[in-house]
Amino acid sequence: MCLGVPGQIKEIIVGSGLRMAKVDFGGVIREVCIETLPEARVGDYTIVHAGFALNLLSEEEAKETLDLLDQLAQYEDPVTDDFSESTPA
Amino acid sequence: MQFIDEFRDNRLAQGLLAEIRRTVTRPWVLMEICGGQTHAIMQYGLDQLLPPEIELVHGPGCPVCVTSLELIDKALAIASQPEVIFTSFGDMLRVPGSQGDLFSVRARGGQVKVVYSPLDAVRIAQQNPDKQIVFFAIGFETTAPPNVASVLQAQALGLKNYSILVSHVRVPPAMHAILGSPHNRVPGSRACMRGDGILGISTHCRSISCAHDGYRV
Repeated sequence: MCLGVPGQIKEIIVGSGLRMAKVDFGGVIREVCIETLPEARVGDYTIVHAGFALNLLSEEEAKETLDLLDQLAQYEDPVTDDFSESTPA
Repeated sequence: MQFIDEFRDNRLAQGLLAEIRRTVTRPWVLMEICGGQTHAIMQYGLDQLLPPEIELVHGPGCPVCVTSLELIDKALAIASQPEVIFTSFGDMLRVPGSQGDLFSVRARGGQVKVVYSPLDAVRIAQQNPDKQIVFFAIGFETTAPPNVASVLQAQALGLKNYSILVSHVRVPPAMHAILGSPHNRVPGSRACMRGDGILGISTHCRSISCAHDGYRV
Protein backbone atom coordinates (compact mmCIF):
# COMPACT_ATOMS: atom_id res chain seq x y z
CA MET A 1 0.00 0.00 0.00
CA CYS A 2 2.92 2.36 0.65
CA LEU A 3 3.63 3.08 -2.95
CA GLY A 4 3.53 6.46 -4.65
CA VAL A 5 3.55 6.00 -8.41
CA PRO A 6 4.01 8.81 -10.92
CA GLY A 7 1.66 9.01 -13.87
CA GLN A 8 0.38 11.46 -16.47
CA ILE A 9 -3.18 12.80 -16.50
CA LYS A 10 -4.76 11.89 -19.85
CA GLU A 11 -8.39 12.81 -19.32
CA ILE A 12 -10.43 14.51 -16.62
CA ILE A 13 -13.74 12.77 -16.01
CA VAL A 14 -16.74 14.95 -15.31
CA GLY A 15 -19.36 13.15 -13.26
CA SER A 16 -21.03 12.96 -9.88
CA GLY A 17 -19.12 12.60 -6.64
CA LEU A 18 -15.35 13.01 -6.47
CA ARG A 19 -13.37 14.59 -9.30
CA MET A 20 -11.67 11.77 -11.22
CA ALA A 21 -9.15 11.46 -14.04
CA LYS A 22 -7.70 8.80 -16.29
CA VAL A 23 -3.99 8.54 -15.54
CA ASP A 24 -1.35 6.79 -17.65
CA PHE A 25 1.23 4.78 -15.65
CA GLY A 26 3.73 3.87 -18.37
CA GLY A 27 1.01 2.41 -20.58
CA VAL A 28 -1.44 1.25 -17.91
CA ILE A 29 -4.47 3.52 -17.59
CA ARG A 30 -6.30 3.77 -14.26
CA GLU A 31 -8.99 5.99 -12.88
CA VAL A 32 -7.61 8.19 -10.13
CA CYS A 33 -9.23 10.69 -7.77
CA ILE A 34 -7.92 14.23 -8.31
CA GLU A 35 -10.20 15.90 -5.77
CA THR A 36 -7.20 17.26 -3.85
CA LEU A 37 -5.68 18.87 -6.96
CA PRO A 38 -8.12 21.44 -8.32
CA GLU A 39 -5.27 22.89 -10.40
CA ALA A 40 -4.61 19.58 -12.21
CA ARG A 41 -4.83 19.73 -16.00
CA VAL A 42 -4.55 17.16 -18.79
CA GLY A 43 -0.86 16.51 -19.47
CA ASP A 44 0.27 17.14 -15.87
CA TYR A 45 2.31 14.51 -14.03
CA THR A 46 1.17 13.50 -10.57
CA ILE A 47 2.14 11.11 -7.75
CA VAL A 48 -0.67 8.65 -7.05
CA HIS A 49 -1.11 6.80 -3.77
CA ALA A 50 -3.95 4.33 -3.17
CA GLY A 51 -5.90 5.70 -6.13
CA PHE A 52 -5.56 9.34 -5.09
CA ALA A 53 -3.40 11.98 -6.75
CA LEU A 54 -1.33 13.64 -4.02
CA ASN A 55 0.52 16.42 -5.78
CA LEU A 56 1.73 17.57 -9.17
CA LEU A 57 5.27 16.86 -10.36
CA SER A 58 7.37 19.53 -11.94
CA GLU A 59 9.42 18.39 -14.93
CA GLU A 60 11.75 21.36 -14.35
CA GLU A 61 12.46 20.35 -10.75
CA ALA A 62 13.03 16.74 -11.74
CA LYS A 63 15.49 17.84 -14.44
CA GLU A 64 17.28 20.05 -11.92
CA THR A 65 17.72 17.08 -9.56
CA LEU A 66 18.87 14.81 -12.39
CA ASP A 67 21.35 17.48 -13.54
CA LEU A 68 22.82 17.63 -10.03
CA LEU A 69 23.11 13.83 -9.94
CA ASP A 70 24.71 13.94 -13.35
CA GLN A 71 27.32 16.39 -12.08
CA LEU A 72 28.11 14.03 -9.19
CA ALA A 73 28.47 11.16 -11.64
CA GLN A 74 31.24 13.10 -13.41
CA TYR A 75 33.47 12.79 -10.33
CA GLU A 76 36.04 10.06 -10.39
CA ASP A 77 35.73 7.51 -7.64
CA PRO A 78 38.56 4.98 -7.27
CA VAL A 79 36.36 2.49 -5.36
CA THR A 80 33.60 2.47 -7.97
CA ASP A 81 36.05 2.38 -10.83
CA ASP A 82 37.83 -0.62 -9.33
CA PHE A 83 34.54 -2.52 -9.17
CA SER A 84 33.17 -1.51 -12.53
CA GLU A 85 36.35 -2.15 -14.48
CA SER A 86 37.31 -5.44 -12.84
CA THR A 87 37.39 -8.52 -15.02
CA PRO A 88 36.60 -11.95 -13.56
CA ALA A 89 39.72 -14.06 -13.30
CA MET B 1 9.85 12.32 -18.86
CA GLN B 2 8.15 9.43 -17.00
CA PHE B 3 9.66 10.24 -13.56
CA ILE B 4 10.64 6.57 -13.14
CA ASP B 5 13.34 5.44 -15.57
CA GLU B 6 15.25 8.69 -15.19
CA PHE B 7 15.77 7.96 -11.49
CA ARG B 8 16.86 4.35 -12.09
CA ASP B 9 20.04 5.29 -13.91
CA ASN B 10 22.91 3.14 -12.61
CA ARG B 11 25.50 5.73 -13.64
CA LEU B 12 23.78 8.48 -11.63
CA ALA B 13 23.38 6.17 -8.62
CA GLN B 14 27.09 5.26 -8.74
CA GLY B 15 27.97 8.95 -8.91
CA LEU B 16 25.87 9.71 -5.86
CA LEU B 17 27.36 6.75 -3.98
CA ALA B 18 30.87 7.91 -4.88
CA GLU B 19 30.08 11.37 -3.53
CA ILE B 20 28.70 9.88 -0.29
CA ARG B 21 31.85 7.74 0.12
CA ARG B 22 34.02 10.78 -0.55
CA THR B 23 32.11 13.03 1.85
CA VAL B 24 31.49 10.80 4.86
CA THR B 25 33.94 11.55 7.67
CA ARG B 26 32.28 9.99 10.72
CA PRO B 27 29.71 7.32 11.59
CA TRP B 28 26.10 8.25 10.89
CA VAL B 29 22.91 6.54 11.99
CA LEU B 30 20.08 7.47 9.66
CA MET B 31 16.50 6.37 9.98
CA GLU B 32 13.99 6.07 7.20
CA ILE B 33 10.47 6.77 8.38
CA CYS B 34 8.36 5.16 5.71
CA GLY B 35 7.94 1.39 5.31
CA GLY B 36 8.03 1.91 1.54
CA GLN B 37 11.52 3.35 1.88
CA THR B 38 12.61 0.32 3.93
CA HIS B 39 11.22 -1.89 1.18
CA ALA B 40 13.15 -0.01 -1.54
CA ILE B 41 16.38 -0.08 0.47
CA MET B 42 16.14 -3.84 0.91
CA GLN B 43 14.88 -4.57 -2.61
CA TYR B 44 17.76 -2.74 -4.28
CA GLY B 45 20.40 -3.57 -1.62
CA LEU B 46 21.09 0.11 -0.94
CA ASP B 47 22.25 -0.69 2.61
CA GLN B 48 25.06 -2.80 1.14
CA LEU B 49 26.09 -0.13 -1.35
CA LEU B 50 26.58 2.57 1.26
CA PRO B 51 29.93 2.95 3.05
CA PRO B 52 30.21 1.15 6.43
CA GLU B 53 30.13 4.47 8.29
CA ILE B 54 26.46 4.85 7.39
CA GLU B 55 24.06 2.68 9.37
CA LEU B 56 20.41 2.63 8.33
CA VAL B 57 17.78 1.91 10.96
CA HIS B 58 14.14 1.33 10.21
CA GLY B 59 11.57 3.79 11.52
CA PRO B 60 7.99 3.58 12.71
CA GLY B 61 6.30 4.23 9.36
CA CYS B 62 4.91 0.81 8.49
CA PRO B 63 1.14 0.86 9.00
CA VAL B 64 0.92 -2.91 8.80
CA CYS B 65 3.36 -3.29 11.70
CA VAL B 66 1.71 -0.72 13.96
CA THR B 67 -1.88 -1.93 13.59
CA SER B 68 -2.91 -3.39 16.94
CA LEU B 69 -3.81 -7.02 17.56
CA GLU B 70 -7.20 -5.84 18.82
CA LEU B 71 -7.98 -4.24 15.44
CA ILE B 72 -6.84 -7.32 13.54
CA ASP B 73 -9.15 -9.44 15.70
CA LYS B 74 -12.03 -7.05 14.98
CA ALA B 75 -11.26 -7.31 11.26
CA LEU B 76 -11.27 -11.13 11.45
CA ALA B 77 -14.60 -11.14 13.30
CA ILE B 78 -16.24 -8.74 10.82
CA ALA B 79 -14.81 -10.54 7.78
CA SER B 80 -16.26 -13.83 9.06
CA GLN B 81 -19.84 -12.49 8.93
CA PRO B 82 -21.74 -14.06 6.00
CA GLU B 83 -23.37 -10.77 4.94
CA VAL B 84 -20.00 -8.95 4.77
CA ILE B 85 -17.54 -8.44 1.93
CA PHE B 86 -14.38 -7.37 3.73
CA THR B 87 -11.98 -5.25 1.66
CA SER B 88 -8.39 -4.42 2.48
CA PHE B 89 -5.00 -3.49 1.08
CA GLY B 90 -3.22 -6.74 0.23
CA ASP B 91 -0.46 -6.46 2.81
CA MET B 92 -2.92 -6.79 5.73
CA LEU B 93 -4.09 -10.27 4.75
CA ARG B 94 -1.08 -12.09 6.21
CA VAL B 95 -0.98 -10.18 9.49
CA PRO B 96 -1.87 -12.65 12.26
CA GLY B 97 -4.57 -11.96 14.82
CA SER B 98 -5.27 -14.05 17.91
CA GLN B 99 -6.80 -16.75 15.73
CA GLY B 100 -5.51 -16.83 12.18
CA ASP B 101 -5.36 -14.08 9.58
CA LEU B 102 -7.63 -12.70 6.84
CA PHE B 103 -6.31 -15.36 4.44
CA SER B 104 -7.56 -18.08 6.81
CA VAL B 105 -10.96 -16.33 7.01
CA ARG B 106 -11.09 -16.45 3.22
CA ALA B 107 -10.09 -20.12 3.24
CA ARG B 108 -13.07 -20.82 5.53
CA GLY B 109 -15.43 -19.20 3.03
CA GLY B 110 -15.37 -15.58 4.18
CA GLN B 111 -15.47 -12.94 1.45
CA VAL B 112 -12.19 -11.04 1.69
CA LYS B 113 -11.18 -8.95 -1.30
CA VAL B 114 -7.92 -7.11 -1.92
CA VAL B 115 -8.32 -3.58 -3.27
CA TYR B 116 -5.77 -1.07 -4.52
CA SER B 117 -7.80 1.94 -3.40
CA PRO B 118 -10.68 2.51 -0.96
CA LEU B 119 -12.61 3.80 -3.97
CA ASP B 120 -12.46 0.24 -5.36
CA ALA B 121 -14.24 -0.86 -2.18
CA VAL B 122 -16.95 1.76 -2.82
CA ARG B 123 -17.36 0.34 -6.32
CA ILE B 124 -17.80 -3.16 -4.82
CA ALA B 125 -20.49 -1.68 -2.53
CA GLN B 126 -22.30 -0.28 -5.59
CA GLN B 127 -22.17 -3.66 -7.30
CA ASN B 128 -23.34 -5.62 -4.23
CA PRO B 129 -26.32 -3.78 -2.69
CA ASP B 130 -27.36 -6.90 -0.73
CA LYS B 131 -23.98 -7.09 1.08
CA GLN B 132 -22.28 -4.96 3.71
CA ILE B 133 -18.90 -3.78 2.44
CA VAL B 134 -16.30 -2.97 5.08
CA PHE B 135 -12.93 -1.42 4.22
CA PHE B 136 -9.99 -1.90 6.60
CA ALA B 137 -8.88 1.74 6.88
CA ILE B 138 -5.35 1.49 8.23
CA GLY B 139 -2.38 3.74 7.81
CA PHE B 140 -0.92 7.14 8.56
CA GLU B 141 -1.57 10.65 7.32
CA THR B 142 -1.09 9.48 3.73
CA THR B 143 -4.04 7.08 3.72
CA ALA B 144 -6.41 8.98 6.02
CA PRO B 145 -7.62 11.44 3.32
CA PRO B 146 -8.33 8.71 0.72
CA ASN B 147 -10.16 6.63 3.33
CA VAL B 148 -12.32 9.56 4.41
CA ALA B 149 -12.91 10.51 0.77
CA SER B 150 -14.25 7.01 0.12
CA VAL B 151 -16.88 7.60 2.82
CA LEU B 152 -17.82 10.93 1.22
CA GLN B 153 -18.04 9.21 -2.16
CA ALA B 154 -20.29 6.48 -0.74
CA GLN B 155 -22.47 9.20 0.79
CA ALA B 156 -22.61 11.11 -2.51
CA LEU B 157 -23.70 7.89 -4.26
CA GLY B 158 -26.39 7.31 -1.63
CA LEU B 159 -24.90 3.99 -0.51
CA LYS B 160 -26.06 2.54 2.81
CA ASN B 161 -23.90 -0.59 2.73
CA TYR B 162 -20.38 0.87 2.98
CA SER B 163 -18.40 1.38 6.16
CA ILE B 164 -14.78 1.48 7.25
CA LEU B 165 -12.94 -0.11 10.18
CA VAL B 166 -10.68 2.73 11.25
CA SER B 167 -7.17 2.25 12.59
CA HIS B 168 -5.27 5.43 11.85
CA VAL B 169 -2.13 6.53 13.61
CA ARG B 170 0.02 9.64 13.23
CA VAL B 171 3.72 9.78 12.36
CA PRO B 172 4.94 13.04 14.01
CA PRO B 173 4.23 11.95 17.63
CA ALA B 174 6.25 8.76 17.03
CA MET B 175 9.09 10.78 15.52
CA HIS B 176 9.02 13.23 18.43
CA ALA B 177 9.21 10.32 20.89
CA ILE B 178 12.18 8.79 19.07
CA LEU B 179 14.11 11.99 18.49
CA GLY B 180 13.35 13.34 21.95
CA SER B 181 14.48 10.22 23.79
CA PRO B 182 17.69 10.63 25.83
CA HIS B 183 18.80 7.30 24.35
CA ASN B 184 18.25 8.45 20.79
CA ARG B 185 21.19 7.74 18.51
CA VAL B 186 19.51 8.84 15.28
CA PRO B 187 20.81 12.25 14.22
CA GLY B 188 18.82 12.37 11.01
CA SER B 189 15.91 10.78 9.23
CA ARG B 190 14.85 10.47 5.63
CA ALA B 191 11.82 12.52 4.76
CA CYS B 192 8.89 10.84 3.07
CA MET B 193 7.76 12.86 0.09
CA ARG B 194 4.20 11.58 0.15
CA GLY B 195 3.85 12.16 3.87
CA ASP B 196 5.29 15.64 3.65
CA GLY B 197 3.13 16.41 0.65
CA ILE B 198 0.03 15.76 2.71
CA LEU B 199 1.20 17.05 6.08
CA GLY B 200 3.09 20.03 4.79
CA ILE B 201 6.86 20.01 5.04
CA SER B 202 6.88 22.15 8.18
CA THR B 203 5.55 19.31 10.35
CA HIS B 204 8.45 17.09 9.42
CA CYS B 205 10.95 19.89 9.97
CA ARG B 206 9.52 20.47 13.42
CA SER B 207 10.05 16.85 14.37
CA ILE B 208 13.57 16.87 12.99
CA SER B 209 14.41 20.02 14.91
CA CYS B 210 13.73 18.03 18.10
CA ALA B 211 16.76 15.90 17.30
CA HIS B 212 19.21 15.34 20.10
CA ASP B 213 21.42 18.34 20.85
CA GLY B 214 24.65 18.24 18.98
CA TYR B 215 23.14 16.25 16.15
CA ARG B 216 20.70 18.85 14.94
CA VAL B 217 19.95 18.36 11.27
